Amino acid sequence: MKYMVEVIVTLKDGIRDPQGAAISTVLKRTGIEEKAEISAGKFFTLAISAENQDAAKEKINTICEDVLINPILENYRIGRFDQV
Amino acid sequence: MKAGIVVFPGTNCDRDTKLACEFFGWQADYIWHDESSLHDYDVIFLPGGFSYGDYVSAGGLAKFSPAVLALKEYVKSKRGFVIGICNGFQILCEAGLLPGALSVNSGTRFVCDLTGLSVNNTKFPGKINLPIAHGEGRYVAPENMMKDINELVFVKYTDNPNGSTDDIAGLYDRSNKILGMMPHPERAVFEETGNTDGRYFFELIEAELR
Repeated sequence: MKYMVEVIVTLKDGIRDPQGAAISTVLKRTGIEEKAEISAGKFFTLAISAENQDAAKEKINTICEDVLINPILENYRIGRFDQV
Repeated sequence: MKAGIVVFPGTNCDRDTKLACEFFGWQADYIWHDESSLHDYDVIFLPGGFSYGDYVSAGGLAKFSPAVLALKEYVKSKRGFVIGICNGFQILCEAGLLPGALSVNSGTRFVCDLTGLSVNNTKFPGKINLPIAHGEGRYVAPENMMKDINELVFVKYTDNPNGSTDDIAGLYDRSNKILGMMPHPERAVFEETGNTDGRYFFELIEAELR
């Protein structure tokens, strides 16, 4: 089976996010959003093959934990998960 | 003394490191990252740069290179000394050979400067200066590990340029055979660079291996 999966990576609580802070500052300065609290992360789409949905999820978790995130700094969650 | 300098796609401090090693009379060879044995070498350098474009995270993809897998064998067999500088430090942390991680500088900007350092070693003077050049140099580790990590600290910033926890600029592993640091000693060896404080580090490695 083939699957198309979205992965969203975010910084863990307490890990400073200078990128998000910089965007927030710009939004406040320009007056677009006075109370902006932006956090920045990463977004991946993965096309993978697996025998079934459980095997696909296991594979995605391995890819995320070993390759896409640094577990000291980041969390991840799976967004769309479609069989294609 | 035989030094191996691992070169990843995107490494850019390999030549500085080789010239610095040769200044001390060491033999220094480049090792392409697909090399699978490092046992010929007394010391292995992971130099600075942007391995694999720093994609995903700094050092995050380099940790899968055959040379880094070989490095784990090298460490396990206690063959020699390993030093990761800047991107090399990031790779050592990503590969789990050193604790913690390097995150984006607290000031958002890439910092390129001469920075003051204090080194936890009696062979060094009280304060030295070395160049730094990094965007992801803020040392971070889980709070419950910090007590243990502080025992491993080798070098601290005197004027923290990137928000590193406890001013940490570089540290050893438990065995004292792996050293990672953000500052660049190899860029401060020759008189022409205006600063030769980097020589202390090469002298230290030489003393470690004698």
